[in-house]
Amino acid sequence: MDAATVRLLVAGILGLPTLGFLVVTLGGTLVPRRVVRLLGPGVIVGAFACVVLLTVGVLERAPADRSITVTLWHWLSLGGKHGGFGATFNVLVDPLSLVMMGVITGVGGLIHIYSVGYMAEDRGFNRFFAYMNFFITSMLVLVLSANLVFLIIGWAMVAFASYALIAFWYERPTAVAAGRKAFITQVIGDVGLVLAAFLIFLNLRGRSGNLLHTVDFATIFANVGPGAHFHNGLGPAGSGLVTVIGLLLFAGAAAKSAQWPLHTWLPDAMEGPTPVSALIHAATMVTAGVYLVCRFHPIFEQAPTAGAVVAVIGMGTALMAAIIGCTQFDIKRVIAYSTMSQIGLMIFSAGIGAYSAAIFQLVAHAFFKALLFMAAGNVIHGIGGEQDIRQMGGLRRRLRFTYPAFAVGTLALSGIPLFAGWFSKEELLGNGLVLGPATPWLWVAGVVVNVLTSFYSFRVLWVTFHGEAHGEEASKAHEAPRVMVGPVLVLAALAALFGFTNIDFGTFHPITIVATFLAPVFGPIARVPAPGVALLALLVGTALSMGGLGLAFLVYGRQAIARDLVPRRAPWVYQLSLQKFYWDEVYDAMLARPMVGLATACRRVIEPGVFNGAVDGVRSAVQTLADDFRTFQSGLLRDYALVFFVFAVIGLLVLGLHLT
Amino acid sequence: MNHNLFPGFIGLSAALFAIGAVGVLVRRNPIVVFMCIELMLNAGNLALIAFGRFTHTMDGQVFALIVITVAASEVVVGLALITGVFRSGRGLDVDELSEMRE
Repeated sequence: MDAATVRLLVAGILGLPTLGFLVVTLGGTLVPRRVVRLLGPGVIVGAFACVVLLTVGVLERAPADRSITVTLWHWLSLGGKHGGFGATFNVLVDPLSLVMMGVITGVGGLIHIYSVGYMAEDRGFNRFFAYMNFFITSMLVLVLSANLVFLIIGWAMVAFASYALIAFWYERPTAVAAGRKAFITQVIGDVGLVLAAFLIFLNLRGRSGNLLHTVDFATIFANVGPGAHFHNGLGPAGSGLVTVIGLLLFAGAAAKSAQWPLHTWLPDAMEGPTPVSALIHAATMVTAGVYLVCRFHPIFEQAPTAGAVVAVIGMGTALMAAIIGCTQFDIKRVIAYSTMSQIGLMIFSAGIGAYSAAIFQLVAHAFFKALLFMAAGNVIHGIGGEQDIRQMGGLRRRLRFTYPAFAVGTLALSGIPLFAGWFSKEELLGNGLVLGPATPWLWVAGVVVNVLTSFYSFRVLWVTFHGEAHGEEASKAHEAPRVMVGPVLVLAALAALFGFTNIDFGTFHPITIVATFLAPVFGPIARVPAPGVALLALLVGTALSMGGLGLAFLVYGRQAIARDLVPRRAPWVYQLSLQKFYWDEVYDAMLARPMVGLATACRRVIEPGVFNGAVDGVRSAVQTLADDFRTFQSGLLRDYALVFFVFAVIGLLVLGLHLT
Repeated sequence: MNHNLFPGFIGLSAALFAIGAVGVLVRRNPIVVFMCIELMLNAGNLALIAFGRFTHTMDGQVFALIVITVAASEVVVGLALITGVFRSGRGLDVDELSEMRE
């Protein structure tokens, strides 16, 4: 595939969603709905076709030659003493960005098709597709950028798209508040990312010790990473500078991927329409943090401390979210916490250096989590907008396509053997046995996460679809239209079968399509567990996951164990989980209330005293002065003429004296 | 021209100018004020021509012609204003015309 074709395909990938966004935005409500129905999903499917062609073209090349940089245009070029500074819109096509593009446009396209059905009755149909197409464009800019400047631009654009879509139903105050919360949290992360970019720009040195002042990824990574032909462009491994850069990058990743302590926005983001939850808050945007850590892997490899922090925070968030997920009643919130938990596992994997495992989990997770959200959307759609699982029950007889799809999603999420989640999570956790800090305790924590995950997933499955209907709406539930069931079934097939592309648990099964494809980007993994240990870990992990399933069956299926056992015996554990570890309350007490108090104090004391006083003082001084000057103005012509003559005479005298 | 007459011309000019200035300051009838302004302009003209003669150049006379032109324009505007004020029913007294103070 020649350069011109690559350029054309990249232009198609970025241009088609932009075209859809521009047409619907500029046309507004003048664009008829039937045009938007075709155009909105159509441009994304077209972009996906371009991604497929591009992937085929890249696969023709030798593995080492699969990283292609395409310059779309020169955006900024400044002269300067040291060669100046330039940020061209360079696009980086490599295996990592191809995988991300495939997920964004593939899963995104399915979700767009689904949205045609889900949003059919909504007044803001056109606005919805304009935002969705804009989001796809932004996300593609994020993953395609070959320099820090456009990475940051895409990073901020997805945050805006997320804000606009969470607050899509702007008549609801809770939705608007949730959108604002998400956006503010994202901006905190943006600060981290921008500071990291500044530090790299200011400090990166070339081989001869000269400052490079570059934002280009290829140059940065060529001068940072470990290895024989690299040198330490940001100081030696583990130095303070590179660790700080790693931590700042992770601050950006944590805000985007809802990791502690910047995680509280994700459950609230469920106020948005369900396709938005599936696209942005499950499949793509929240995984951008994982992408960021993986993309900047040379920096994290140089900063083991930062990597360890990433791994521990990822695993901690995974554990916390899994505990919270066990007690929530809103079907979308349970799935949101499971998203946070699964992304925690990906972040952990990226932190310990198992990058291709993290990306594999990212893709598998995009399939099964988008599936779960869309199936949950069908449920909500079918019973008239109810989201509380206590009001559901017995839906399996009425939702005959959604039920098996949701079941497949649950099986994949829980890591039941041969479904996608089993392959991805066991590979990911197996690496935790030999890599990263505190081995093997993070592996143990990961297994606990898996047990809790399968417990709460099956809890939702049983309470929602089995047993008796608990509400009037639930007993009259109806299946969703075909346009909504179709994409769900496609994703169910992918969630069931995708795992077979990556059978590899510590090298004893060599069919590793994804890992091999990604190898040119990430290089070989540092260490893998011995085959025997890996097999043992796999068996133990799988058995325990099945145990979680069994526990959920005993509690919610057979009802052999009382549901209120934990609330009765250990009420504090139950409350901690139900109240989401009180993080919202902590932030409210630590940040929100002091700020409101400070603002109130300012309004009561500083505003009237200082600012109003200053403004009033200036005003009254001007008025006094003006009143004094007014007495000069008699209105009599003779007075003015006299003043004029007197000063003319004085002027002439001065002039005369000056001349003589 | 006898150069000895030069101080006389300047003195006459200064006297006419002073008479005009005093007239502008003390008279209340706008037409008289106007005539006093004309007197001052012509005092200036006299001085310009005297200087021109004294220095043997034409500059003074050229300036005087320009001043005459300006004076003519001024008469057009000024008399129109005075007529306008008179038509509005007010007396011809410059001290009465002080509304602009407020």
